[in-house]
Amino acid sequence: MSRRALNLFFMAALVLPRALVGQHADLVRTRADSLLREWQQASVLAAVQDSLRHAADIAGRDTVRAGALTILVNPSPLPIAPAAAKAWSEIEQFFGPAAQWLARQPLVIQALDPDTTVPANPGDALQIYWDLNQRELTRVLLGFADLSGADPAVRDWLGGPVLPGLDSDQRRAQVYVALVTAPSQAVRRCFADDRAACRDALSLGPTTSDLLTRWYGPDERRDLATLRYAGFLDKGVRAREFRSCAAGSDSACLDLLESLPPGSLERPLDYAARFSLLETAVALGGTRTFERLFATAPGPMGARLAAAAQVSEDSLLARWRSDVVTARPKPVPIPPWAIWVALGWTVAFMTCGLGSSRWRVS
Amino acid sequence: MFRVVLYAQWKWSRLVVTLGTIAAFILPALSVQGASRDVGSPLKAGELLSLVQSWGVLYPVLAAALGLLVAIATWAPDHRGRHVHALSLPLPRWRYVLLRFGAGVVLLAAPAVALLAGAVLATHLAAIPPGLEGYPVALTIRFALAVLVAYAVFFAISAGTTRTAGAILTVIGGLILVQVLASAADVHLDLLTPVQSILLNWPGPLAIFTGRWMLIDV
Repeated sequence: MSRRALNLFFMAALVLPRALVGQHADLVRTRADSLLREWQQASVLAAVQDSLRHAADIAGRDTVRAGALTILVNPSPLPIAPAAAKAWSEIEQFFGPAAQWLARQPLVIQALDPDTTVPANPGDALQIYWDLNQRELTRVLLGFADLSGADPAVRDWLGGPVLPGLDSDQRRAQVYVALVTAPSQAVRRCFADDRAACRDALSLGPTTSDLLTRWYGPDERRDLATLRYAGFLDKGVRAREFRSCAAGSDSACLDLLESLPPGSLERPLDYAARFSLLETAVALGGTRTFERLFATAPGPMGARLAAAAQVSEDSLLARWRSDVVTARPKPVPIPPWAIWVALGWTVAFMTCGLGSSRWRVS
Repeated sequence: MFRVVLYAQWKWSRLVVTLGTIAAFILPALSVQGASRDVGSPLKAGELLSLVQSWGVLYPVLAAALGLLVAIATWAPDHRGRHVHALSLPLPRWRYVLLRFGAGVVLLAAPAVALLAGAVLATHLAAIPPGLEGYPVALTIRFALAVLVAYAVFFAISAGTTRTAGAILTVIGGLILVQVLASAADVHLDLLTPVQSILLNWPGPLAIFTGRWMLIDV
Protein backbone atom coordinates (compact mmCIF):
# COMPACT_ATOMS: atom_id res chain seq x y z
CA MET A 1 0.00 0.00 0.00
CA SER A 2 1.35 3.47 -0.91
CA ARG A 3 1.93 6.16 1.65
CA ARG A 4 -0.93 8.23 0.16
CA ALA A 5 -3.33 5.33 0.49
CA LEU A 6 -2.28 4.82 4.09
CA ASN A 7 -2.93 8.51 4.87
CA LEU A 8 -6.38 8.26 3.30
CA PHE A 9 -7.13 5.19 5.35
CA PHE A 10 -6.13 6.92 8.60
CA MET A 11 -8.15 10.03 7.71
CA ALA A 12 -11.20 7.89 7.03
CA ALA A 13 -10.69 5.99 10.28
CA LEU A 14 -10.60 9.27 12.20
CA VAL A 15 -13.55 10.98 10.51
CA LEU A 16 -16.04 8.19 9.89
CA PRO A 17 -16.44 6.94 13.49
CA ARG A 18 -17.01 10.51 14.66
CA ALA A 19 -19.87 10.80 12.22
CA LEU A 20 -21.23 7.46 13.36
CA VAL A 21 -20.91 8.44 17.04
CA GLY A 22 -22.73 11.70 16.33
CA GLN A 23 -25.48 9.80 14.58
CA HIS A 24 -25.72 7.33 17.51
CA ALA A 25 -25.86 10.10 20.18
CA ASP A 26 -28.64 11.89 18.30
CA LEU A 27 -30.60 8.69 18.10
CA VAL A 28 -30.20 8.03 21.81
CA ARG A 29 -31.15 11.62 22.66
CA THR A 30 -34.26 11.36 20.50
CA ARG A 31 -35.21 8.11 22.17
CA ALA A 32 -34.55 9.55 25.63
CA ASP A 33 -36.70 12.58 24.82
CA SER A 34 -39.43 10.30 23.60
CA LEU A 35 -39.20 8.21 26.76
CA LEU A 36 -39.31 11.37 28.87
CA ARG A 37 -42.45 12.50 27.08
CA GLU A 38 -43.99 9.07 27.61
CA TRP A 39 -43.04 9.11 31.27
CA GLN A 40 -44.45 12.62 31.76
CA GLN A 41 -47.67 11.56 30.05
CA ALA A 42 -47.88 8.43 32.24
CA SER A 43 -47.25 10.52 35.35
CA VAL A 44 -50.03 12.92 34.43
CA LEU A 45 -52.38 9.99 33.81
CA ALA A 46 -51.39 8.36 37.13
CA ALA A 47 -51.95 11.65 38.96
CA VAL A 48 -55.36 12.01 37.33
CA GLN A 49 -56.19 8.43 38.25
CA ASP A 50 -55.03 9.02 41.84
CA SER A 51 -57.02 12.19 42.16
CA LEU A 52 -60.10 10.49 40.66
CA ARG A 53 -59.66 7.61 43.10
CA HIS A 54 -59.22 10.04 45.97
CA ALA A 55 -62.26 11.99 44.79
CA ALA A 56 -64.21 8.73 44.65
CA ASP A 57 -62.92 7.89 48.14
CA ILE A 58 -64.17 11.12 49.64
CA ALA A 59 -67.22 11.63 47.42
CA GLY A 60 -70.53 11.53 49.24
CA ARG A 61 -68.89 11.52 52.67
CA ASP A 62 -69.77 13.59 55.70
CA THR A 63 -67.03 15.66 57.26
CA VAL A 64 -66.75 15.29 61.01
CA ARG A 65 -64.44 17.67 62.83
CA ALA A 66 -63.30 17.50 66.41
CA GLY A 67 -60.50 19.93 67.11
CA ALA A 68 -57.83 19.33 64.48
CA LEU A 69 -59.19 15.86 63.83
CA THR A 70 -60.91 15.78 60.44
CA ILE A 71 -62.76 12.63 59.49
CA LEU A 72 -64.47 11.95 56.17
CA VAL A 73 -66.98 9.16 56.58
CA ASN A 74 -69.87 7.74 54.58
CA PRO A 75 -73.34 7.99 56.20
CA SER A 76 -73.80 5.10 58.67
CA PRO A 77 -74.96 4.37 62.25
CA LEU A 78 -71.32 4.57 63.39
CA PRO A 79 -71.17 6.94 66.44
CA ILE A 80 -68.39 8.90 64.75
CA ALA A 81 -69.07 12.37 66.17
CA PRO A 82 -69.04 11.44 69.88
CA ALA A 83 -66.12 9.06 69.33
CA ALA A 84 -64.15 11.78 67.51
CA ALA A 85 -64.91 14.26 70.31
CA LYS A 86 -63.72 11.79 72.95
CA ALA A 87 -60.65 10.87 70.88
CA TRP A 88 -59.78 14.52 70.36
CA SER A 89 -59.98 15.27 74.08
CA GLU A 90 -57.49 12.44 74.72
CA ILE A 91 -55.28 13.51 71.82
CA GLU A 92 -55.22 17.12 72.96
CA GLN A 93 -54.56 16.11 76.55
CA PHE A 94 -51.52 14.08 75.48
CA PHE A 95 -50.08 16.07 72.60
CA GLY A 96 -51.21 19.54 73.67
CA PRO A 97 -50.97 22.27 71.02
CA ALA A 98 -48.76 19.99 68.88
CA ALA A 99 -51.91 17.99 68.11
CA GLN A 100 -52.88 20.71 65.60
CA TRP A 101 -50.44 19.00 63.24
CA LEU A 102 -53.09 16.30 62.74
CA ALA A 103 -55.18 18.79 60.73
CA ARG A 104 -52.83 17.98 57.83
CA GLN A 105 -53.92 14.36 57.82
CA PRO A 106 -57.69 13.95 57.35
CA LEU A 107 -58.83 10.40 58.06
CA VAL A 108 -61.10 8.77 55.46
CA ILE A 109 -63.37 6.08 56.89
CA GLN A 110 -65.53 3.65 55.00
CA ALA A 111 -68.19 2.36 57.42
CA LEU A 112 -69.31 -1.13 56.41
CA ASP A 113 -72.47 -3.06 57.13
CA PRO A 114 -71.38 -5.96 59.38
CA ASP A 115 -74.05 -8.27 57.96
CA THR A 116 -73.34 -7.68 54.30
CA THR A 117 -71.66 -10.24 52.09
CA VAL A 118 -70.90 -7.65 49.39
CA PRO A 119 -67.14 -7.08 49.19
CA ALA A 120 -66.00 -3.56 50.11
CA ASN A 121 -64.71 -1.20 47.43
CA PRO A 122 -60.94 -1.10 47.36
CA GLY A 123 -59.52 2.28 48.26
CA ASP A 124 -57.38 4.13 50.74
CA ALA A 125 -60.21 4.54 53.23
CA LEU A 126 -60.05 2.87 56.62
CA GLN A 127 -62.76 0.23 56.61
CA ILE A 128 -64.73 -0.20 59.84
CA TYR A 129 -67.90 -2.19 60.61
CA TRP A 130 -70.60 0.18 61.76
CA ASP A 131 -71.63 -1.93 64.75
CA LEU A 132 -68.53 -0.75 66.62
CA ASN A 133 -69.47 0.95 69.87
CA GLN A 134 -68.25 4.41 70.80
CA ARG A 135 -65.46 3.15 73.06
CA GLU A 136 -64.03 0.80 70.44
CA LEU A 137 -64.31 3.46 67.75
CA THR A 138 -62.52 5.98 69.98
CA ARG A 139 -59.63 3.55 70.35
CA VAL A 140 -59.49 3.06 66.58
CA LEU A 141 -59.36 6.82 66.04
CA LEU A 142 -56.64 7.19 68.66
CA GLY A 143 -54.67 4.51 66.86
CA PHE A 144 -54.56 6.72 63.77
CA ALA A 145 -53.58 9.94 65.56
CA ASP A 146 -49.94 9.44 64.65
CA LEU A 147 -47.77 12.51 65.08
CA SER A 148 -44.55 10.87 63.90
CA GLY A 149 -44.64 12.82 60.63
CA ALA A 150 -44.03 15.98 62.64
CA ASP A 151 -40.61 14.74 63.75
CA PRO A 152 -39.20 11.63 62.07
CA ALA A 153 -36.25 11.60 64.52
CA VAL A 154 -38.65 10.91 67.40
CA ARG A 155 -40.28 8.11 65.41
CA ASP A 156 -36.89 6.59 64.59
CA TRP A 157 -35.84 6.72 68.24
CA LEU A 158 -39.14 5.21 69.38
CA GLY A 159 -39.13 2.58 66.67
CA GLY A 160 -42.82 3.10 65.97
CA PRO A 161 -45.65 5.61 65.72
CA VAL A 162 -46.09 8.58 68.05
CA LEU A 163 -49.61 7.93 69.34
CA PRO A 164 -51.54 9.24 72.33
CA GLY A 165 -50.68 7.18 75.41
CA LEU A 166 -53.24 4.48 76.18
CA ASP A 167 -53.02 1.72 78.78
CA SER A 168 -50.04 3.40 80.43
CA ASP A 169 -50.11 1.21 83.56
CA GLN A 170 -50.18 -1.94 81.45
CA ARG A 171 -47.29 -0.67 79.36
CA ARG A 172 -45.21 0.21 82.43
CA ALA A 173 -45.86 -3.28 83.84
CA GLN A 174 -44.64 -4.67 80.52
CA VAL A 175 -41.52 -2.49 80.79
CA TYR A 176 -40.91 -3.78 84.31
CA VAL A 177 -40.88 -7.33 82.95
CA ALA A 178 -38.50 -6.20 80.18
CA LEU A 179 -36.17 -4.62 82.74
CA VAL A 180 -35.99 -7.89 84.64
CA THR A 181 -35.80 -10.28 81.73
CA ALA A 182 -34.11 -8.52 78.78
CA PRO A 183 -30.85 -10.32 77.90
CA SER A 184 -28.76 -7.16 78.17
CA GLN A 185 -26.24 -6.03 80.77
CA ALA A 186 -27.29 -2.41 80.26
CA VAL A 187 -30.90 -3.26 81.10
CA ARG A 188 -29.93 -5.28 84.16
CA ARG A 189 -27.80 -2.41 85.44
CA CYS A 190 -30.63 0.01 84.66
CA PHE A 191 -32.95 -2.14 86.80
CA ALA A 192 -30.35 -1.85 89.57
CA ASP A 193 -30.69 1.97 89.29
CA ASP A 194 -27.62 2.75 87.18
CA ARG A 195 -28.78 5.84 85.28
CA ALA A 196 -25.92 5.74 82.76
CA ALA A 197 -26.95 2.20 81.87
CA CYS A 198 -30.59 3.34 81.46
CA ARG A 199 -29.33 6.08 79.14
CA ASP A 200 -27.47 3.48 77.08
CA ALA A 201 -30.34 0.99 77.01
CA LEU A 202 -32.79 3.68 75.91
CA SER A 203 -30.35 5.14 73.32
CA LEU A 204 -30.58 8.59 74.87
CA GLY A 205 -26.99 9.65 74.28
CA PRO A 206 -25.12 10.31 71.06
CA THR A 207 -24.59 7.27 68.85
CA THR A 208 -21.10 5.91 69.50
CA SER A 209 -19.22 2.95 68.11
CA ASP A 210 -19.05 1.15 71.46
CA LEU A 211 -22.83 1.02 71.94
CA LEU A 212 -22.84 -2.70 71.14
CA THR A 213 -20.43 -3.50 73.98
CA ARG A 214 -22.32 -1.23 76.35
CA TRP A 215 -25.65 -2.85 75.49
CA TYR A 216 -24.60 -6.48 75.55
CA GLY A 217 -22.00 -8.49 77.50
CA PRO A 218 -19.86 -11.23 75.87
CA ASP A 219 -22.35 -14.07 76.55
CA GLU A 220 -25.23 -11.97 75.31
CA ARG A 221 -23.31 -11.01 72.18
CA ARG A 222 -22.61 -14.68 71.48
CA ASP A 223 -26.28 -15.58 72.00
CA LEU A 224 -27.34 -12.76 69.70
CA ALA A 225 -24.92 -13.75 66.93
CA THR A 226 -25.37 -17.50 67.16
CA LEU A 227 -29.08 -17.69 67.98
CA ARG A 228 -30.96 -14.54 67.02
CA TYR A 229 -29.07 -13.69 63.84
CA ALA A 230 -27.82 -17.19 62.98
CA GLY A 231 -29.88 -17.36 59.77
CA PHE A 232 -28.24 -14.19 58.48
CA LEU A 233 -24.71 -14.63 59.78
CA ASP A 234 -24.07 -18.35 59.43
CA LYS A 235 -23.47 -18.35 55.68
CA GLY A 236 -21.10 -17.24 52.96
CA VAL A 237 -17.94 -15.42 53.95
CA ARG A 238 -19.07 -15.07 57.55
CA ALA A 239 -19.54 -18.81 58.19
CA ARG A 240 -15.99 -19.26 59.47
CA GLU A 241 -16.25 -16.28 61.82
CA PHE A 242 -19.65 -17.57 62.94
CA ARG A 243 -18.12 -20.90 63.97
CA SER A 244 -15.35 -19.05 65.77
CA CYS A 245 -17.96 -16.95 67.64
CA ALA A 246 -19.94 -20.07 68.56
CA ALA A 247 -16.69 -21.60 69.88
CA GLY A 248 -16.28 -18.64 72.26
CA SER A 249 -14.32 -15.94 70.40
CA ASP A 250 -15.79 -12.62 71.52
CA SER A 251 -13.93 -10.63 68.87
CA ALA A 252 -15.52 -12.82 66.19
CA CYS A 253 -18.98 -12.22 67.73
CA LEU A 254 -18.31 -8.47 67.80
CA ASP A 255 -17.21 -8.47 64.15
CA LEU A 256 -20.29 -10.44 63.18
CA LEU A 257 -22.69 -8.15 65.01
CA GLU A 258 -20.96 -5.05 63.68
CA SER A 259 -21.39 -6.41 60.15
CA LEU A 260 -25.18 -6.29 60.53
CA PRO A 261 -26.92 -3.59 58.48
CA PRO A 262 -27.28 -0.31 60.43
CA GLY A 263 -30.32 -0.26 62.67
CA SER A 264 -30.98 -3.98 62.46
CA LEU A 265 -29.34 -4.88 65.78
CA GLU A 266 -32.00 -5.56 68.38
CA ARG A 267 -32.30 -2.70 70.87
CA PRO A 268 -32.28 -3.83 74.50
CA LEU A 269 -35.30 -1.71 75.44
CA ASP A 270 -37.90 -1.49 72.72
CA TYR A 271 -40.87 0.67 71.79
CA ALA A 272 -42.85 0.13 75.01
CA ALA A 273 -39.96 1.27 77.21
CA ARG A 274 -39.17 4.28 75.04
CA PHE A 275 -42.82 5.25 74.80
CA SER A 276 -43.18 5.01 78.57
CA LEU A 277 -40.25 7.44 78.87
CA LEU A 278 -42.07 9.78 76.49
CA GLU A 279 -45.16 9.50 78.71
CA THR A 280 -43.07 10.34 81.76
CA ALA A 281 -41.74 13.40 79.94
CA VAL A 282 -45.33 14.46 79.16
CA ALA A 283 -46.35 13.86 82.79
CA LEU A 284 -43.50 16.12 83.93
CA GLY A 285 -43.60 18.72 81.19
CA GLY A 286 -47.34 19.16 80.84
CA THR A 287 -49.38 19.71 77.71
CA ARG A 288 -46.73 21.73 75.86
CA THR A 289 -44.15 18.93 76.04
CA PHE A 290 -44.55 17.83 72.42
CA GLU A 291 -44.51 21.41 71.18
CA ARG A 292 -41.16 21.94 72.96
CA LEU A 293 -39.86 18.53 71.85
CA PHE A 294 -40.52 19.22 68.17
CA ALA A 295 -38.95 22.68 68.56
CA THR A 296 -35.68 21.37 70.03
CA ALA A 297 -32.65 21.13 67.78
CA PRO A 298 -31.78 17.69 66.36
CA GLY A 299 -29.43 15.78 68.64
CA PRO A 300 -29.34 13.12 71.33
CA MET A 301 -32.88 12.21 72.35
CA GLY A 302 -32.13 12.31 76.09
CA ALA A 303 -31.30 16.01 76.01
CA ARG A 304 -34.30 16.74 73.78
CA LEU A 305 -36.72 14.88 76.05
CA ALA A 306 -35.27 16.53 79.15
CA ALA A 307 -35.62 19.97 77.55
CA ALA A 308 -39.19 19.18 76.55
CA ALA A 309 -40.04 17.97 80.05
CA GLN A 310 -38.19 20.97 81.56
CA VAL A 311 -36.19 18.79 83.95
CA SER A 312 -32.67 17.39 83.90
CA GLU A 313 -32.07 14.16 82.01
CA ASP A 314 -31.17 12.46 85.28
CA SER A 315 -34.45 13.53 86.94
CA LEU A 316 -36.41 12.37 83.93
CA LEU A 317 -34.77 8.94 84.06
CA ALA A 318 -35.20 8.71 87.84
CA ARG A 319 -38.92 9.45 87.56
CA TRP A 320 -39.32 6.99 84.67
CA ARG A 321 -37.60 4.20 86.58
CA SER A 322 -39.62 4.92 89.69
CA ASP A 323 -42.89 4.81 87.66
CA VAL A 324 -41.87 1.51 86.09
CA VAL A 325 -40.83 -0.10 89.36
CA THR A 326 -44.11 1.03 90.96
CA ALA A 327 -46.03 -0.60 88.10
CA ARG A 328 -44.59 -4.02 88.90
CA PRO A 329 -47.20 -6.52 87.67
CA LYS A 330 -49.05 -8.68 90.16
CA PRO A 331 -47.39 -12.08 89.99
CA VAL A 332 -50.42 -14.29 90.69
CA PRO A 333 -53.30 -12.30 89.30
CA ILE A 334 -56.01 -13.17 91.81
CA PRO A 335 -57.67 -10.30 93.64
CA PRO A 336 -58.29 -11.00 97.36
CA TRP A 337 -62.05 -11.08 96.86
CA ALA A 338 -61.56 -13.78 94.20
CA ILE A 339 -61.04 -16.31 97.00
CA TRP A 340 -64.55 -15.57 98.26
CA VAL A 341 -65.95 -15.67 94.74
CA ALA A 342 -64.40 -19.11 94.15
CA LEU A 343 -65.73 -20.37 97.48
CA GLY A 344 -69.12 -18.89 96.59
CA TRP A 345 -69.19 -20.80 93.30
CA THR A 346 -68.16 -23.97 95.15
CA VAL A 347 -71.11 -23.58 97.55
CA ALA A 348 -73.42 -22.75 94.63
CA PHE A 349 -72.46 -25.90 92.71
CA MET A 350 -72.60 -28.01 95.85
CA THR A 351 -76.15 -26.70 96.41
CA CYS A 352 -76.98 -27.82 92.86
CA GLY A 353 -75.74 -31.26 93.93
CA LEU A 354 -77.99 -31.14 96.98
CA GLY A 355 -80.97 -30.46 94.77
CA SER A 356 -80.19 -33.41 92.55
CA SER A 357 -83.21 -35.17 91.11
CA ARG A 358 -81.65 -38.61 91.63
CA TRP A 359 -83.54 -39.41 94.77
CA ARG A 360 -86.75 -37.70 93.86
CA VAL A 361 -89.62 -40.06 94.59
CA SER A 362 -91.85 -40.27 91.57
CA MET B 1 -70.61 -41.42 109.97
CA PHE B 2 -68.22 -39.01 108.23
CA ARG B 3 -65.27 -41.34 108.87
CA VAL B 4 -67.13 -44.22 107.24
CA VAL B 5 -68.03 -42.14 104.19
CA LEU B 6 -64.47 -40.81 104.03
CA TYR B 7 -63.01 -44.32 104.21
CA ALA B 8 -65.36 -45.60 101.52
CA GLN B 9 -64.53 -42.68 99.29
CA TRP B 10 -60.79 -43.15 99.88
CA LYS B 11 -61.12 -46.76 98.74
CA TRP B 12 -62.88 -45.67 95.54
CA SER B 13 -60.59 -42.79 94.66
CA ARG B 14 -57.23 -43.67 96.23
CA LEU B 15 -55.53 -44.29 92.89
CA VAL B 16 -56.59 -40.89 91.55
CA VAL B 17 -55.70 -39.09 94.77
CA THR B 18 -52.30 -40.81 95.10
CA LEU B 19 -51.31 -40.14 91.49
CA GLY B 20 -52.60 -36.56 91.75
CA THR B 21 -50.59 -36.00 94.94
CA ILE B 22 -47.40 -37.29 93.34
CA ALA B 23 -48.00 -35.17 90.24
CA ALA B 24 -48.68 -32.07 92.36
CA PHE B 25 -45.45 -32.63 94.29
CA ILE B 26 -43.16 -33.10 91.29
CA LEU B 27 -44.72 -30.49 88.99
CA PRO B 28 -43.03 -27.45 90.67
CA ALA B 29 -39.65 -29.21 90.59
CA LEU B 30 -40.09 -29.97 86.90
CA SER B 31 -41.04 -26.37 86.17
CA VAL B 32 -37.72 -25.03 87.50
CA GLN B 33 -35.44 -27.72 86.06
CA GLY B 34 -32.34 -26.07 84.64
CA ALA B 35 -32.49 -23.32 87.25
CA SER B 36 -31.04 -25.43 90.03
CA ARG B 37 -28.18 -23.89 92.04
CA ASP B 38 -25.73 -26.68 91.19
CA VAL B 39 -26.09 -26.28 87.41
CA GLY B 40 -23.00 -24.65 85.81
CA SER B 41 -24.85 -21.92 83.91
CA PRO B 42 -28.29 -21.44 85.40
CA LEU B 43 -31.09 -20.12 83.22
CA LYS B 44 -31.38 -16.38 82.61
CA ALA B 45 -34.45 -14.54 83.89
CA GLY B 46 -36.31 -14.56 80.58
CA GLU B 47 -35.59 -18.23 79.91
CA LEU B 48 -36.63 -19.22 83.43
CA LEU B 49 -39.91 -17.30 83.13
CA SER B 50 -40.68 -18.96 79.79
CA LEU B 51 -39.97 -22.38 81.25
CA VAL B 52 -42.08 -21.76 84.36
CA GLN B 53 -44.89 -20.38 82.21
CA SER B 54 -44.93 -23.38 79.89
CA TRP B 55 -45.09 -25.80 82.80
CA GLY B 56 -47.67 -23.56 84.47
CA VAL B 57 -50.31 -24.72 81.98
CA LEU B 58 -50.32 -28.08 83.75
CA TYR B 59 -51.50 -26.72 87.15
CA PRO B 60 -55.07 -25.88 86.05
CA VAL B 61 -55.16 -29.07 83.98
CA LEU B 62 -54.19 -31.11 87.03
CA ALA B 63 -56.72 -29.24 89.20
CA ALA B 64 -59.54 -29.85 86.71
CA ALA B 65 -58.58 -33.51 86.24
CA LEU B 66 -58.47 -34.12 90.00
CA GLY B 67 -61.84 -32.42 90.52
CA LEU B 68 -63.42 -34.40 87.69
CA LEU B 69 -62.04 -37.83 88.62
CA VAL B 70 -62.69 -37.55 92.35
CA ALA B 71 -66.25 -36.27 91.70
CA ILE B 72 -66.91 -39.21 89.36
CA ALA B 73 -65.39 -41.65 91.86
CA THR B 74 -67.58 -40.15 94.59
CA TRP B 75 -70.87 -40.95 92.87
CA ALA B 76 -70.01 -43.92 90.64
CA PRO B 77 -70.66 -46.67 93.27
CA ASP B 78 -73.97 -45.03 94.25
CA HIS B 79 -75.05 -44.90 90.61
CA ARG B 80 -74.06 -48.53 90.10
CA GLY B 81 -76.01 -49.62 93.17
CA ARG B 82 -79.00 -47.50 92.12
CA HIS B 83 -78.65 -45.54 95.39
CA VAL B 84 -80.11 -48.41 97.42
CA HIS B 85 -77.37 -48.13 100.05
CA ALA B 86 -77.84 -44.38 100.44
CA LEU B 87 -81.61 -44.69 100.66
CA SER B 88 -81.31 -47.41 103.30
CA LEU B 89 -79.33 -45.08 105.61
CA PRO B 90 -81.21 -43.18 108.33
CA LEU B 91 -80.04 -39.88 106.88
CA PRO B 92 -81.78 -37.05 105.07
CA ARG B 93 -80.61 -36.69 101.50
CA TRP B 94 -78.98 -33.27 101.98
CA ARG B 95 -76.86 -34.60 104.83
CA TYR B 96 -75.68 -37.59 102.82
CA VAL B 97 -74.70 -35.31 99.93
CA LEU B 98 -72.85 -33.00 102.30
CA LEU B 99 -70.95 -35.95 103.77
CA ARG B 100 -69.97 -37.10 100.30
CA PHE B 101 -68.89 -33.59 99.32
CA GLY B 102 -66.94 -33.07 102.54
CA ALA B 103 -65.14 -36.39 102.18
CA GLY B 104 -64.10 -35.46 98.64
CA VAL B 105 -62.79 -32.10 99.83
CA VAL B 106 -60.73 -33.77 102.56
CA LEU B 107 -59.22 -36.21 100.05
CA LEU B 108 -58.40 -33.37 97.66
CA ALA B 109 -56.48 -31.56 100.39
CA ALA B 110 -53.64 -34.06 99.91
CA PRO B 111 -52.65 -32.88 96.40
CA ALA B 112 -52.84 -29.25 97.57
CA VAL B 113 -50.52 -29.94 100.50
CA ALA B 114 -48.18 -31.87 98.19
CA LEU B 115 -48.11 -28.93 95.79
CA LEU B 116 -47.20 -26.56 98.63
CA ALA B 117 -44.36 -28.85 99.75
CA GLY B 118 -43.10 -29.31 96.18
CA ALA B 119 -43.33 -25.60 95.40
CA VAL B 120 -41.49 -24.52 98.56
CA LEU B 121 -38.77 -27.08 97.86
CA ALA B 122 -38.45 -26.09 94.19
CA THR B 123 -38.18 -22.35 94.91
CA HIS B 124 -35.62 -23.06 97.63
CA LEU B 125 -33.47 -25.18 95.31
CA ALA B 126 -33.70 -22.92 92.26
CA ALA B 127 -31.21 -20.14 91.56
CA ILE B 128 -33.69 -17.30 91.07
CA PRO B 129 -32.20 -14.32 89.15
CA PRO B 130 -32.50 -10.80 90.64
CA GLY B 131 -35.89 -9.24 90.01
CA LEU B 132 -37.73 -12.56 90.15
CA GLU B 133 -39.36 -14.16 93.18
CA GLY B 134 -40.98 -17.46 94.08
CA TYR B 135 -44.66 -17.56 94.99
CA PRO B 136 -45.32 -21.06 96.36
CA VAL B 137 -48.11 -20.07 98.77
CA ALA B 138 -50.05 -17.95 96.26
CA LEU B 139 -49.78 -20.72 93.69
CA THR B 140 -51.00 -23.32 96.18
CA ILE B 141 -53.98 -21.20 97.25
CA ARG B 142 -54.93 -20.79 93.64
CA PHE B 143 -54.51 -24.49 92.93
CA ALA B 144 -56.60 -25.45 95.97
CA LEU B 145 -59.41 -23.12 94.92
CA ALA B 146 -59.32 -24.41 91.35
CA VAL B 147 -59.51 -28.02 92.59
CA LEU B 148 -62.41 -27.08 94.83
CA VAL B 149 -64.37 -25.33 92.07
CA ALA B 150 -63.71 -28.15 89.58
CA TYR B 151 -64.77 -30.74 92.17
CA ALA B 152 -67.98 -28.80 92.98
CA VAL B 153 -68.90 -28.43 89.29
CA PHE B 154 -68.37 -32.10 88.48
CA PHE B 155 -69.90 -33.16 91.81
CA ALA B 156 -73.12 -31.33 90.87
CA ILE B 157 -73.12 -32.83 87.37
CA SER B 158 -72.37 -36.36 88.68
CA ALA B 159 -75.08 -36.07 91.31
CA GLY B 160 -77.65 -35.27 88.65
CA THR B 161 -79.55 -37.61 86.38
CA THR B 162 -78.66 -38.50 82.83
CA ARG B 163 -81.47 -36.19 81.81
CA THR B 164 -79.78 -33.24 83.58
CA ALA B 165 -76.46 -34.02 81.94
CA GLY B 166 -78.27 -34.33 78.61
CA ALA B 167 -79.94 -30.94 79.12
CA ILE B 168 -76.59 -29.29 79.86
CA LEU B 169 -74.98 -30.90 76.82
CA THR B 170 -77.97 -29.89 74.64
CA VAL B 171 -77.63 -26.24 75.69
CA ILE B 172 -73.87 -26.25 74.96
CA GLY B 173 -74.35 -28.12 71.66
CA GLY B 174 -77.20 -25.78 70.67
CA LEU B 175 -75.02 -22.71 71.22
CA ILE B 176 -72.21 -24.18 69.12
CA LEU B 177 -74.65 -25.22 66.38
CA VAL B 178 -76.22 -21.75 66.16
CA GLN B 179 -72.74 -20.20 66.05
CA VAL B 180 -71.63 -22.54 63.25
CA LEU B 181 -74.82 -21.87 61.24
CA ALA B 182 -74.42 -18.12 61.71
CA SER B 183 -70.81 -18.28 60.54
CA ALA B 184 -71.81 -20.40 57.54
CA ALA B 185 -74.48 -17.84 56.60
CA ASP B 186 -71.89 -15.06 57.07
CA VAL B 187 -74.09 -13.43 59.71
CA HIS B 188 -72.23 -11.29 62.20
CA LEU B 189 -73.39 -13.13 65.32
CA ASP B 190 -71.07 -14.02 68.16
CA LEU B 191 -72.67 -16.11 70.87
CA LEU B 192 -69.66 -17.97 72.18
CA THR B 193 -67.47 -14.98 73.05
CA PRO B 194 -69.95 -13.47 75.57
CA VAL B 195 -70.54 -16.92 77.12
CA GLN B 196 -66.82 -17.51 77.28
CA SER B 197 -66.18 -14.13 78.89
CA ILE B 198 -68.96 -14.72 81.45
CA LEU B 199 -67.47 -18.07 82.41
CA LEU B 200 -63.78 -17.22 82.25
CA ASN B 201 -63.61 -13.61 83.50
CA TRP B 202 -64.05 -12.60 87.12
CA PRO B 203 -66.43 -13.15 88.81
CA GLY B 204 -67.19 -16.10 86.51
CA PRO B 205 -67.04 -19.63 87.92
CA LEU B 206 -64.06 -20.74 85.83
CA ALA B 207 -62.02 -17.53 86.16
CA ILE B 208 -59.80 -19.19 88.74
CA PHE B 209 -58.43 -21.44 85.98
CA THR B 210 -57.39 -18.60 83.68
CA GLY B 211 -54.33 -16.35 83.69
CA ARG B 212 -50.72 -17.24 84.26
CA TRP B 213 -49.87 -19.92 86.78
CA MET B 214 -46.37 -18.90 87.77
CA LEU B 215 -44.35 -20.44 90.54
CA ILE B 216 -41.63 -17.88 89.87
CA ASP B 217 -42.46 -14.45 88.51
CA VAL B 218 -41.39 -10.81 88.59
